[in-house]
Amino acid sequence: MTRWAITADLNRCVGCQTCTAACKHANATAPGIQWRKVIDIETGTFPDVRRSFMPVGCMHCDDAPCLSVCPTQATQKRDDGIVTIDYDLCIGCAYCVVACPYQARSKVSTQSAAYGKGRRMRHEKLREDPARLNVAQKCNFCVDRIDTGLAAGLTPGVDADATPACVNSCIAGALTFGDIEEANSNVSQLLKENSHFVMHQDLNTGPGIFYLWDKVNHQPDITEPEMIAEPIAAAAISPQLQQSWDWRASANFIFGGAGTGLFIASAFAAFGGLNVMLPMLLALILVGLGLFCVWLEIGRPWRFLNVYRNAQTSWMTREAMIMMPFAATGLLALGLKSLVLGLVGAVFAFGFLYCQGQILKASKGIPAWRQPEIVPLILLTGLTEGLSLLILFIAATPANLQGMALALTLLICLRLLAWRRYRKALGAEAAPTATFKTLDRLEFNLSAPHQAAPALLAIIALFAGPLMPFLLGFAAFLALTSGWLFKYTLITKAAFNQGYAINHIPRRGAGEPARGIKPGWMTS
Amino acid sequence: MNKPLTPTSKVSSYCYQCVAGPDLLTVTLQDGVPTQIGPNCAAAEIHPAGGKVCVKAFGLIQKTHNPHRILTPMKRTNPEKGRDQDPGFEPCSWEEALDTIGAKLRGIRETGLKDASGFPRVAASFGGGGTPTAYMGTFPAFLAAWGPVDMSFGSGQGVKCYHSEHLYGELWHRAFIVSPDTPMAELILSFGANVEASGGVCGVKRHADARDRGVKRIQIEPHLSITGACSAQWVPIKPKTDPAFMFALVHVLVHEIPHENLDLPFLRHKTASSYLIAPNGFYMRDPTTGKPLVWDKNTDSAVPHDTPEINPALRGVFTLSGVEVGPDDEKWAHTNTACKTAYEALRDHTLSFTPEWAAKICDVGAATVRLTAQQYVDHAHIGETVTINGRKLPFRPVAISLGKTVNNGWGGYECCWARTMLACLVGALEVPGGTVGTTVRLNRPAGNRWASVVRGPDGFMNYPMNPTKKDEWISRPTSRHAHQTLVPLAANSAWSQALGPTHLAWMMQKEGFDHLPKPTPPDVWFVYRTNPAISFWDTDAISDVMANFPFTVCFAYTMDETNYMADILLPECTDLEGLQLIRIGGSKYIEQFWEHTGFALRDPASAPQGEARDFTWIATQLADQAGVLGKYNAAINIGAAGIPLKGEGYDFSLPHDQQHSVEEIWDATCRAASAEITDGEESQGLEYYREHGFRTKPFDKTQWYLYPAMEDSGLRFELPYQERLLRIGQELGERLHEQGIHWWDRQLQEYEALPGWHDLQQQWEDALSTDFDIKIGDYPFWLLTSRSMQYSWGGNASLQMIHEVAKNIAGHGGIIMNPAAAAKLGLTEGDHVEVTSPVGKTSGAVILRQGIRPDCLLMVGQFDHWITPYAKDLKTPSMNRLTPMSLALTDSTGSGADLVKVSLKLIGGGA
Repeated sequence: MTRWAITADLNRCVGCQTCTAACKHANATAPGIQWRKVIDIETGTFPDVRRSFMPVGCMHCDDAPCLSVCPTQATQKRDDGIVTIDYDLCIGCAYCVVACPYQARSKVSTQSAAYGKGRRMRHEKLREDPARLNVAQKCNFCVDRIDTGLAAGLTPGVDADATPACVNSCIAGALTFGDIEEANSNVSQLLKENSHFVMHQDLNTGPGIFYLWDKVNHQPDITEPEMIAEPIAAAAISPQLQQSWDWRASANFIFGGAGTGLFIASAFAAFGGLNVMLPMLLALILVGLGLFCVWLEIGRPWRFLNVYRNAQTSWMTREAMIMMPFAATGLLALGLKSLVLGLVGAVFAFGFLYCQGQILKASKGIPAWRQPEIVPLILLTGLTEGLSLLILFIAATPANLQGMALALTLLICLRLLAWRRYRKALGAEAAPTATFKTLDRLEFNLSAPHQAAPALLAIIALFAGPLMPFLLGFAAFLALTSGWLFKYTLITKAAFNQGYAINHIPRRGAGEPARGIKPGWMTS
Repeated sequence: MNKPLTPTSKVSSYCYQCVAGPDLLTVTLQDGVPTQIGPNCAAAEIHPAGGKVCVKAFGLIQKTHNPHRILTPMKRTNPEKGRDQDPGFEPCSWEEALDTIGAKLRGIRETGLKDASGFPRVAASFGGGGTPTAYMGTFPAFLAAWGPVDMSFGSGQGVKCYHSEHLYGELWHRAFIVSPDTPMAELILSFGANVEASGGVCGVKRHADARDRGVKRIQIEPHLSITGACSAQWVPIKPKTDPAFMFALVHVLVHEIPHENLDLPFLRHKTASSYLIAPNGFYMRDPTTGKPLVWDKNTDSAVPHDTPEINPALRGVFTLSGVEVGPDDEKWAHTNTACKTAYEALRDHTLSFTPEWAAKICDVGAATVRLTAQQYVDHAHIGETVTINGRKLPFRPVAISLGKTVNNGWGGYECCWARTMLACLVGALEVPGGTVGTTVRLNRPAGNRWASVVRGPDGFMNYPMNPTKKDEWISRPTSRHAHQTLVPLAANSAWSQALGPTHLAWMMQKEGFDHLPKPTPPDVWFVYRTNPAISFWDTDAISDVMANFPFTVCFAYTMDETNYMADILLPECTDLEGLQLIRIGGSKYIEQFWEHTGFALRDPASAPQGEARDFTWIATQLADQAGVLGKYNAAINIGAAGIPLKGEGYDFSLPHDQQHSVEEIWDATCRAASAEITDGEESQGLEYYREHGFRTKPFDKTQWYLYPAMEDSGLRFELPYQERLLRIGQELGERLHEQGIHWWDRQLQEYEALPGWHDLQQQWEDALSTDFDIKIGDYPFWLLTSRSMQYSWGGNASLQMIHEVAKNIAGHGGIIMNPAAAAKLGLTEGDHVEVTSPVGKTSGAVILRQGIRPDCLLMVGQFDHWITPYAKDLKTPSMNRLTPMSLALTDSTGSGADLVKVSLKLIGGGA
């Protein structure tokens, strides 16, 4: 087997950006898009300061998070370890973008030009590639060069014509390309001779870029970089708010969660004799509305059917797939007024909701999402929102509101527990400082002080006699809006990406190495 | 995957945009359009950096296709000039543009090539440290055919270059540029040198290799540059206090480290350390031969320095008789007079320069200074040798490099001297592992350092000083900055004008200098690959001056701040469009040390855009228009375009009496190159170079070091005592005073035999206080600048891609300051601040970095653009308009330094 990989010698790298420019030439990336770049990392406090340069880009991970999440199978990992994107399959959902913990993927929506649209240059016109618009793109290790080179009998990493452009261009000799499965290859030798690390090794993605930092053997190396909660002037390397999923994506979680929750609540309420035709219909509409919002967001909406291509690993595919029986049974239950079909639909609705939780959990690039505890939290939030909606729907009608009040109280409490569990786990595991700030400073969040109001209102409603519908309705309104606000915040405001980290400051010549940093991170 | 490629081909070319080149590259064409730059892998074996080019070369695709390019000749319609005047450029035909220029040139030839003040009527300015010659085709032949041309209007020279190093380096060891012998060095002391940003691919590769094998580089500078980042240690020294640090290193070596631990044989036999100094400060000489005397310990007597089989004393005071020769050949006879050796004078001179003394000045611990000195000696391997290409040479793997602002302006002399002296003390000058020169530009022949080692007086190399003796001094300047009149060390080679006090040319246009000829603007000013309106110091003042020039011709790429003042704009082929053959190899500029030498072709990768024309075509037309076509062709034939067309056994000379096409000229040049490289055996022309891109032959690596040539010539390095400089300084003072010139008196004080300590920070503050009547306390920060690998020399501020990738490196586009200093002022990251010096203002965003002293601010690169497309919209601060052109801040070599005191105030919150 072959696994192509890059070693980046941090002792040699000078941050010149020649690799960045060479990549832009070789791959004709749009202005502002850099598949390869070198980041500038300063550590320490004056006068004890160190500065390092670190080439970054797609790591061609062994266990690539982008690969498993891709609903279309546009992202593939070849037998030689190279992770590729089929632009003709990609729907531009950007799930891979948020799943990548290395900020290696990007999406371009318009054919941009260095000097503006009206001033496209000759080479820009010649090399513009409409296939790359509105789909995910990233480094592919110049796979065309590798394949062509191999076909010509050349050795990647040794022969320039078979080697990625960034490596060819590296003026400091910092970048080396080769097969790490070949014991005597250039990269294998370098890995034997040097201490090295991979970025974000705690995520176990098995990156294919290895950073050499010392000729002295420090193996086994388990040093984690020091988290710097409030780094000075490290914006370019600290976690950044993801820009790929905006309000439209959050609408899917808001409407999908509330809709499925509403359907489930309605299905159970039907057994109490309640007429849930309209709530169920609303539930289906809400879920559909959420998906419509997603459809509006994806880069290639008319390829949306490709979303069904990866049921094996992608929770986005599964979400889309489960929508079909959910919609079918839901509509049948409505049409046939069947309680049983309603229950079956509720099972599918729950599955849909579960998929949403798993979608977030699989997004390894967003620390606030990837916590396992996000799944029960999403489930309970959806159920709480659904019941709240149902209560709001029927509050004015004669119904068994006492049971509803008890159920709502219970769900609010369970959601609170799920939130506490999630928050505690996130704090223990560490996350971007900005994520904590955003979640904790949310004016109406899922914590106990904030959720006490709807819970107490629901309880008081039990004893409020004629005021019960009003109080319970208000409690439901609060429970619903706090859930929606939380999800909107989680998706669009607290979703800071992984950022960059350097495990070790390299030994520069005869200097001393030092512990690296993970800027913009903290435990809490 | 990527879009399938359309049919491609590759063209060979080179990148010589910066002084660290030339480097070889390939251009990939798709459907005939240049789309990619890449290394020239075919050159991997012969190019010191494996045939690679740096990020700047990758800008050439955009540079070629930039929609802002000027693509037709343009003529000015508004006779008024100035930043506030729209030039009203209108397109015109080449015929009209050339006719207009031709009429001016013919008029000058009829009137006289020099004006009433004796200055050339035609002036020319080129930027990039001489690199424009690699792009201007045969234009040098036009200039040679023309006659006197004033090249004194600088565009950065003196303040943006290694000015003092150029002059003193050539004097002491034929080192226009001084470099570590990085491949063999173990310890490098780098005082502000920023080789990772400005050393090009060869510099970067050499230092990366050195780090790989464990070199210790100590970076001594006020901010943590790219080079500091790549070094083993950073010492954040106060700006412009480097001489104190270096003097203290010398002190430790000559006073604290056991004498026998120094390289005593080198000091005795390869330097003038043993020369005896007479009472008036000049060498005690043998009355018969006039040769400096040394004290021979074998015979216990004074003998001429070159007496065979002697054992010269390094230390001590001896009583002897002899003659002393002062300025203007004044002689004193001495009898039984006590004379100390130059080395003893050095010891006395440096006695007070203790690490503790330096520590207070530099804000660096005395222990750090002492440890640095100790390491320097420990790593010197004194006594060891290494054999290179069969020649046994001393092996001294310790080197010192100096950066801009350290090796130019006041203090440059001290630093260059101390650096060279430190090398001498351990025998590390011009030997493997040590401190070596790269090239010569003032001495001749320029292409061969060894051949430039010519015996001069007193056992030293000759040096082509501008004369200072009474009847020889050039009292009437030949250039507007009076380099031959004021700066003996500037010599008078083709490069000398660029190495004079180039800001004086601008200054004299405003005020003139007493007792020099009346200032006159040039009748015609040619400008190519330079933009002094933004790249020099006090750029507002310079812009005002050039607005008064009557006729300016700019070879224009895009509209820029200098050609905004032009009368005619000529669009020439840019790097990927023009045809030229240049020399490569040997040892060059920053850190290019090749083991090959030869030629490389810049083969057009693209048809000229618009009406752009090959520079050789333009030069030919200008020569014809000016009526000097015959001389122009003759100049080409003798090598004015880089390669003589006639040599032993071959003659590809062009007929004088006709125009020759671009391809004819370069085909003949290629043939001559082939003949030269094969000793006349072969004569392949343009097609050969188009196919192969370059052609080389081996270059003897021992020529990287001057030591063998010095040894073979029996010459000594002219250190430690600067008797010659002392003499010419006094002579120059006499001449200037005889002419009534006293405004150069401060500069005359720099001609010291042993450079003394001068408080340079105080000197700067005094000059600013006096010149601008300010309270210096109102300007609490030192403003510095630093080179950028992405931009330096590239003329590429208008390229989007360069801007994009440069942004990955912190500091571009803003004002770097220390967080603690910022906190004291209540400033945070991104705050928009105004930086004010006594002469100007600029503004930008605060960029907080721990890697800078709290008393300093830093602005990377130079970005004063206000009309250059794209660049003007970047709103990047630049220190150029903040740095005053000041005689008080001009040293004796005519250089200044990028340093000024500034204040800072908040004008807007962060974005």
